[in-house]
Amino acid sequence: MIEVDRLVKRFGAVTAVDGLSFTVRPGHVTGFLGPNGAGKSTTMRVILGLDAPTSGTALIDRRRYDTLVRPLHEVGALLDATALHGGRTARAHITSIARSNGIGRQRVAEVLQLTGLESVAGRRVGGFSLGMKQRLGLAVALLGDPPVLMFDEPVNGLDTEGIAWIRQLFKALAADGRTVMVSSHLMSEMAQTADHLIVIGRGRLLADTSTEQLIESSARRDVLVRSPRASELAGLLTARGATVATGDDGGLAVTGLDAAAIGDLAAEHGIAVHALIPRSASLEDAYLDLTGESVEYRAAAPEGVPGR
Amino acid sequence: MTATAVPPAPPAPASGPAPSLLVRARDALACEWTKLVSVRSTFWTMLVAVVTPIAISSLVAAAITHAPGRGPQPDPLLPGLLSLEYAVLSVAVLGVLAFSTEYGTGLIRTTFAAMPRRRVVLAAKGAVLGAVTLIAGELVAFASFLITQAVLSAHHQGVSLSRPGVPGAVLAEGILLCVVAMLGLATGAIVRHTAGGIATVVGVIIVPGILAVLPAPWGARIGRFTLVDAAHQVTALHPATNLFAPALSLVVLLAWPALALLAAALMITRRDA
Repeated sequence: MIEVDRLVKRFGAVTAVDGLSFTVRPGHVTGFLGPNGAGKSTTMRVILGLDAPTSGTALIDRRRYDTLVRPLHEVGALLDATALHGGRTARAHITSIARSNGIGRQRVAEVLQLTGLESVAGRRVGGFSLGMKQRLGLAVALLGDPPVLMFDEPVNGLDTEGIAWIRQLFKALAADGRTVMVSSHLMSEMAQTADHLIVIGRGRLLADTSTEQLIESSARRDVLVRSPRASELAGLLTARGATVATGDDGGLAVTGLDAAAIGDLAAEHGIAVHALIPRSASLEDAYLDLTGESVEYRAAAPEGVPGR
Repeated sequence: MTATAVPPAPPAPASGPAPSLLVRARDALACEWTKLVSVRSTFWTMLVAVVTPIAISSLVAAAITHAPGRGPQPDPLLPGLLSLEYAVLSVAVLGVLAFSTEYGTGLIRTTFAAMPRRRVVLAAKGAVLGAVTLIAGELVAFASFLITQAVLSAHHQGVSLSRPGVPGAVLAEGILLCVVAMLGLATGAIVRHTAGGIATVVGVIIVPGILAVLPAPWGARIGRFTLVDAAHQVTALHPATNLFAPALSLVVLLAWPALALLAAALMITRRDA
């Protein structure tokens, strides 16, 4: 379990993490989500004792990281897959880290096999693709068979097969009762990987909820209705307690009544309905709604393309 | 925290009882040893450090015997020291690289995540690199002594290893590589950047030599605190009289890396990795 409590991290005048509190529980894949510059990596570095917090705490199973003895048996982490000495072989890289925590040769061979790197273990990592480096980083994270795992943007550079494999691995680790925290700036990725989401923006907590609830709660769930007697139908719907917004093209966006109720009401009054389309917000929309205010670096809308 | 669904029991930690300090020290040394011997730069710098002094020491000795005969005779142990110049620089670079490559690539975060006690990392790197450079240094010192004395003996200027003061001076020459390796290691940990670290350590070794051109007696008064003059004093058969005595010069020589390592130990825990 990872517990972050009122965490603040400032770099000079910049506040990277601003009073962040959350708990990552075992048995789930928890997505740690936010736009670039939201403070995800900084938070993870503080949890790992690499950056000192300005105030607040980050604990792993109720202990500070820097008090852990042989920490690889408690926490496995992959922060930056490219953080390697290019002249070292994959096996030498893993072996050096394994030895620092008293982990033997057999386990090194196991994680090399688990991550599919056996055949390239004797090659210098400078020549590895990003995907291979990600696998190497995963192998290091798994070395100590730890109950807590943290991955910073682990999907970068993996091919389709690799992504499917890594998702399955995360789910298997969580099913094993481990705490699995995976950061990403892509909601679409997390939707398929995480069952719980912690969303941050500008160093603050925006949401801490299950993936399903996030979709439900930010629901712009409505029904698009098209009818030749739209204004008449709109009046009837409003009278039934629905909220109706009329679009530029004359379509009605109806909330508060479901498609069946709307159809029945129209039929009762003999109003023809040409379209009746239930719409639900995608997770991506929910995410954009949440983080819209907190994007650190926003691109200008391209010319001629109206904003959403 | 709130008690929601009861989480499944996490897997039992693979480690048994907390390992002893001795075991943890062995782990850290094994890690740093593996790192040191698994990169090619170690092989090349050590090759330069060992081969160049042995290869050029006879040339330096020959040059001294053929120098114009005016002025006092050069110290018979001087060729051994002079032949170490390339070795000193390459070993200083090796020391800088031990930390600067890890900071440069970001690998330092993996290292500190595996060993959160950062001073243990510094100590382990120091012990491994120190042992390697000390052994290499003594090997080089005695080998180049034998070679230079063979050349000098032909001109009746040589000295024997059994002469009082000689074994101590050659042993002292042997620690020079270790001294600069530790200076480089500390510099790498402080500067955290390869080019900057190399420039700094080379500057620390060489630039104070400029002080020697100050008018007497200031050249010697300040110069005796420099690495170069201290090295000359501890490795000479006939030490200069206007500098510190060899014993005090040895303290000066060891104080440089000791203070640098102390500064590195203080700074390494205070900055974000």
